[in-house]
Amino acid sequence: MRRLSVTILLLFAINPGLLAADTEESSGGSFDIMGKVLDHDYVEVVGVKLYLPRILLVDGEWYFYANTKSALESGEFMQTEESGLVRSDGAQIALDMSITSHLIYVWLGIILTLLITIWAASRYRRGIGAESEPKGAMHNIFEVIFVFIRDDIAKEFITPEKYRRYVPYLFSVFMAIMFMNLFGLLPWAASATADLTVTATLAGITFIITQFSATKDHWRHVFAFPGVPGWSRAILTPVEILGLFTKPFALAIRLFANMLSGKIMIVSILGLIFIFTDMFGAYVGVGSSVFWVLLTAALYFLKALVALIQAYVFTLLSAVFIGMAAEEHHHEEDDTAVAHAQSVEV
Amino acid sequence: MGFLAAGLGAGIIALGAGFGIGIIGKSATESIARQPEAAGDIRGAMLLTAVFIEGVALIGAIVCIILALGLGQ
Repeated sequence: MRRLSVTILLLFAINPGLLAADTEESSGGSFDIMGKVLDHDYVEVVGVKLYLPRILLVDGEWYFYANTKSALESGEFMQTEESGLVRSDGAQIALDMSITSHLIYVWLGIILTLLITIWAASRYRRGIGAESEPKGAMHNIFEVIFVFIRDDIAKEFITPEKYRRYVPYLFSVFMAIMFMNLFGLLPWAASATADLTVTATLAGITFIITQFSATKDHWRHVFAFPGVPGWSRAILTPVEILGLFTKPFALAIRLFANMLSGKIMIVSILGLIFIFTDMFGAYVGVGSSVFWVLLTAALYFLKALVALIQAYVFTLLSAVFIGMAAEEHHHEEDDTAVAHAQSVEV
Repeated sequence: MGFLAAGLGAGIIALGAGFGIGIIGKSATESIARQPEAAGDIRGAMLLTAVFIEGVALIGAIVCIILALGLGQ
């Protein structure tokens, strides 16, 4: 095994001329890892940067620019070190409604979801799939995903009388998150879900839906827990109220951290090639690259899997939270209520 | 020192989460072996529990990342 790896190492290190040219280019340049996952004012398409419009609110006045450069050229704004773009008289930007790269990918994900659902709906209206069997690979995949969300997520965790109302939301949020996650696998694109603002918005929608679908029983469980001595409610009520907010918070953080870590991991492992080149010379660097590239390829598959799993998990937990709020309790089992409370607090 | 804290924190998080998810996997496979017809339900429960552990672990990991990034500036 060891001999094999040494042979592979040698095999990949036989071209000194090429090596020298490679390292000359790579050494000295720095690479911004966080820049790969942060929001930008441009979208990169096949290596070309397309700059996006800036919409800024300063002192109650709106400014519209085609991109950051034209904002700077107009003389109204200037770039500063500590706070980025500010107006020339030093006034801070009150509200930055600029279109950013992550927003573009959110829109793309929503548009793709819309197109697919409208396309499938028109097919069902024409009777394909409704009266006959679904035709074509796309339609079959659509139906598999939809039935999965309806039967295995919505029906399973939300009360049977109510689950139908939530299937559209659960399905669209699943599709949109899946597309947004998968965009991160494209070479120049970024996954919008690696941005806390995007995931927080999605979790916020789930939070609002949860609160509006909450039953009287749910609120009773929050403010006056049944079946426990009065004094312990002093502890239970704050905990339950806190629990209302920690659920969407954990939902947002989970999706965000998963998508962020995938990208950082891939960039870091590829970066090891250059670190090794710096430390031990070009031969070791390029020779070891075969391991890092293979590892990155494996991680890519893992990332594709995680993209699907996280979309599933987000949908699943949304359904669980909605189901928990929409549930109607029967208070015969009051002595089991405490055990129930312990299992609900996560 | 701060970087050490962030690194150690990330390691301890991985330890705890790995332990927890390992126990879930162990009991899930045991239950499936004992009762193969309930495999679907067990898998659902296993995923849900694993996801909660993951959530807590990730919050810890984010704290470590923020700590390390804050020091780097």
